[in-house]
Formats: sequence, C-alpha cells, structure tokens
Amino acid sequence: MFAFTPRKVPVGLADQVRPTTPVAGRLLPVPVPLAPLFPDGALRRGTTTTVAGLPGHGATTLALALLAAASQAGSWCAAVGLSDPGVVAAAELGIDLRRVVFVPHPGSGWAGAAGDLLPGVDVVLVRPPGRARQTAARHLSARARERQAALVVLVEHVGDWPEGGDLALSVGAIEWEGIGRGHGHLQGRRAQVRVGGRRSAGRAMERSFWLPAGSGAVAVAGPGPEPGPEAA
Amino acid sequence: MELERLVVVWCPELQQEGARGEEARRFVHVVARTGELCPWAHPIRLGVCALPARGPARFFGGEEMVVSRLVEAVGEDVHVGVADGLFAAVLAARAQLIVPAGEVRQFLAPWSVATLARPELAVTLQRLGVTTLGQFAALPSPHVSDRFGADAAAAHLVARGESGELAGIRDRSIERRLRVARGEDPDRGSEPLPTQPGFFGGASAGDRRAALSFARVQGRLGVEAVLLGRIRGGRDPAEQAAMVPWGSPEAGTAGVSSAPWPGRLPPPSPTEVLRSPRRVEVIDDAGAACGVSGRGLLNGEPARLSVGGGPWQAITAWAGPWPVTERWWSTRRRRARVQVVTADGVARLLCAERAQWWIEALYD
Repeated sequence: MFAFTPRKVPVGLADQVRPTTPVAGRLLPVPVPLAPLFPDGALRRGTTTTVAGLPGHGATTLALALLAAASQAGSWCAAVGLSDPGVVAAAELGIDLRRVVFVPHPGSGWAGAAGDLLPGVDVVLVRPPGRARQTAARHLSARARERQAALVVLVEHVGDWPEGGDLALSVGAIEWEGIGRGHGHLQGRRAQVRVGGRRSAGRAMERSFWLPAGSGAVAVAGPGPEPGPEAA
Repeated sequence: MELERLVVVWCPELQQEGARGEEARRFVHVVARTGELCPWAHPIRLGVCALPARGPARFFGGEEMVVSRLVEAVGEDVHVGVADGLFAAVLAARAQLIVPAGEVRQFLAPWSVATLARPELAVTLQRLGVTTLGQFAALPSPHVSDRFGADAAAAHLVARGESGELAGIRDRSIERRLRVARGEDPDRGSEPLPTQPGFFGGASAGDRRAALSFARVQGRLGVEAVLLGRIRGGRDPAEQAAMVPWGSPEAGTAGVSSAPWPGRLPPPSPTEVLRSPRRVEVIDDAGAACGVSGRGLLNGEPARLSVGGGPWQAITAWAGPWPVTERWWSTRRRRARVQVVTADGVARLLCAERAQWWIEALYD
C-alpha cells in the first residue's frame, strides 16, 4: 500500500520551502493582527493603500508592518522616501531585510523611483515629500494597477494623496505605555486605526492596535485598559 | 545630504563618437574591464564610467589602490579620479586626482564656469565678472534662482559642493548605444543583468525582475541610492544598523544577527534614526536647563522641550538616563540617553551631554 497523502507535511518543512519567488495569486499577506483591516484579509495586488498619521503617531510603524509578511513570504518590497529608516525597528516588525530595498533620498525623483520599482517588486511603500501632485498620484496608482503590485502611500493627512486610496488607513489617538515620570521605558503604543476608502464601502470602522507592542511587532489591543502591552 | 563618493574612469580619446563608431566599441571594453574589477561599475556617458568608491576602497585597501588597479586593468589610456558627487568626480578624473572627502567645494573653486556645460549661463556670468565655480558658489542662492532660474540654481548647488548631479551629465541612452556597439538588439532591453554577489545564487524570474527595477532606480538616482538594511549589533541605534548599496559585495551578507546586544535599549526600537541629530532644549519646572552630570545622572527633571527654537512642549513622561559609555561621534565623552513623551503623545529618543541635548531618533 503506497497511498499518497499529499496533505501531510512534516512540521517545519513549510519554513524550509518558503517561496523565493514573488507570492502568486492576487493577494499579498499582511501580519495576522492587521488582516481585519483589509476586505480580503490581505493586500490586494493592483491597489493603493494610504496610511495617514501625524508625525510621531505610528503611521510609519503601520506602513512598514504592511511589508513584513509579504517580505517573509518571499516578495520583494521597496520603501521610497523614508529618509533615515530604523532598520532595527523594521526587523522587529518582522520584515525580512534581505527582501526590502530602501531608497531613502529620492528628492524630487520620488515618483519616478516608485514608478521604476512597481514593475519589479510586489509592494512599494512610498512617502511623498508633502502633498503629492494629482498627476503623480494618478500615474502611480495606475501603474500599480497595470503592473499588479501593491502601492502603500505614507502621508500625514488622508488628503495628501489626491487620488485617495482604494483603502485608507489613518492613525488617530495614541498613547504610549510602560513609561512614567523617570521610570520604565517605552513599551507599546496603543493606537486607534480607522479604515476608509473606496474598497471599504460600508465597512468603515475603527480598531485598536499596539503600533508597536513590547516585542516591536504589531498586535491587536483590547478596547479597555490592559495590564500592559507585553500581554498583547 | 552627504554626497556619494565616486570613482570615475574618464577616457580622453573616447569622449566623442567618430564616424566609424569605434569609440563606442572601445568604451564597451573599458566598461567590461572596469566591471570585472568592481562589479557595480556603470557607464555615465560615452567615455565616462563611474562606481561607488567606498566598497572597493575597503576591498583593495584604499582609494589609491583602487585607482592604480583600474588604470592597470583597463588597458586603454584612462584617467581615474575620486571625489564626492558625480560632477566633481568627473573633473577629478580629468585631472587625475583623489579629492579628499568633504573638500569638493575647495576643489571646484578654481575651475571655469564653462565646466557646467551651460554656455549661455557661462557667458552671462563671465560678463558679470564671475569666471570660476568658486565665484559662482559665493553668490547668494536666492539671487541665483531669482535671476537665472531653476537650472542655474541646480548648477549653483553643484558649484557649492552640495549636489553632484546636473542635468546633462548622464546620457540616458548610453546603455542602448552600448548594446548597439556590442551587436545586441538595442530595443530588446536586455541590459546585462545586474547581480547581487553572494545572494542571487539561483536567481528566480522574480529576482531578475526586481534586479532590473533596482538598476533602473540606480540609473536615475545614483548607485548608492538603493540600499539594503543590515543589523550588526551595537548599543547606539545608529550603530546597530547599516545600510549597504544593493549590488555591492557587502550586501550579499545583508541580514540580521538576532543575538541580543548587552546594553542596548529594549524594543521597540525607533523607526527613524537621524543621521544628523537635531538640537533640542530641555528645561525643568523652574525653567533651568536640564543636563547630565559627570556620573551620568540627570540634574533636574525634564519638564519641557523646544525643538530647534520652536514652541515649548510639555513633557508628560520620560525614562532613563541610559548612560552612553562607548565612543560616540569619535570622541570619548560622558553622554546619556533619555526617552521622552510630549503632551501631543509623540515619543522621541534624546541624547544629552552636559546641558546640550539632541534628538537622536523618532518613534513614528
């Protein structure tokens, strides 16, 4: 009897045979805690997702986290315009640094650089310097659609991306935990994230996350006061 | 922003294409030989090819060694030079000089404004008595852009040693012209695949597609514009991480050493580690400047801060100080690090020495 049981895979093998080619299919994975923000539970190829937040409110953390699962699954990713990226923070968020290129100082060539990258990588994160021009925004979103890449745009205000995103995430109220007046240390930032945009139709909602939690990764935060981010 | 340090190979006989197109074929040979020595060399225009200096200088034991190895390897009559930024590096190559880092402006000063390759601007400037790049650099920037326009303003930045890129330095069609010279189909877009040494053992179709897009960005912004992050351990946020150019030999080992490093701040780490820390003032409740004592302790409790002379913001929480006993900015000093949260909820990592404070990193 040589019955073939294709479903049975030795534990750990999945990690070893992790794909090195870009993830096939129309969806690119996001970290599990963030999946509820997306109508498909993942980043959809060809779409634009905006991540908005005032400086210091965790929008960079949220945007970088969107590269974590995709890079681990073997997708190439790029981050354009993050001028001094915290590489350690990126690793703590779960990003596979071997799969992510940074273009920290594109200057006025930010849109050109992002346009060059969209045909080559699966996720392009771009931070325009201030409000983007309508033509640049329209061109990049169209190019993402045409090349079936996911475009993630990091802005201060939702309106800074004139085209609007297929999905618009924005970070609202935040609060750091673990730090007092002269004791403790920064342990986690509780942040309210709102979802809007064309593809969210009727699903507009708000959720609490740790951006990031004590480990440096993102996590879901409960609604009320909690013992501390380590528990998340 | 710091200018990219570049080695330029400049071929005096190959600057112009002759009737028989022999120059392009000879230049193909120069690019190939340069590429054998330093795999991330790339052509700029006919007779000019460039490569980032830092990697090869480390590998061959200094910039002088890189220059002499290149002159030896290429065979053609070549001039090789090294400087910060492409514009200065091309002039350095013509003059066969290695311009010390940070001395671009002094190096450029005696050259004629004609080197900017803007004949109309050069004529106007010379009429005004401005004949050298040094005199041009000394003009106030707002006047230059008001009077001569954006292109002249860009040239002005170059003359001041603040930029290395000037429209017209790079020939956008050079790759295509070299494909013709190699007898390849110019429109097939079959650029020689840029490789990532030590990483693309068996490059997949996706890896090749990604590599081509990175090379396109490098063509647009310079070779050191596309970087991979790498973690090497260390206590300072700035020291823990390194950025290495994609395509350089060092990038082959990009990755993470996950070993916890004693003395480093606990996670989460800051998302933005400022390469040039910003000044910030920190005062206590009584309005007196806070500082760090000789024993690494804070005198006074931080109550308010002001970034670069901006409005005072209340400090709602702070932690530390974590003493910095390591070498820091190349001088051995007593410094301490403090995490600070202001009333707007924003967290920053500050570094203090005596009564002087800097923002070292941001948590966004």
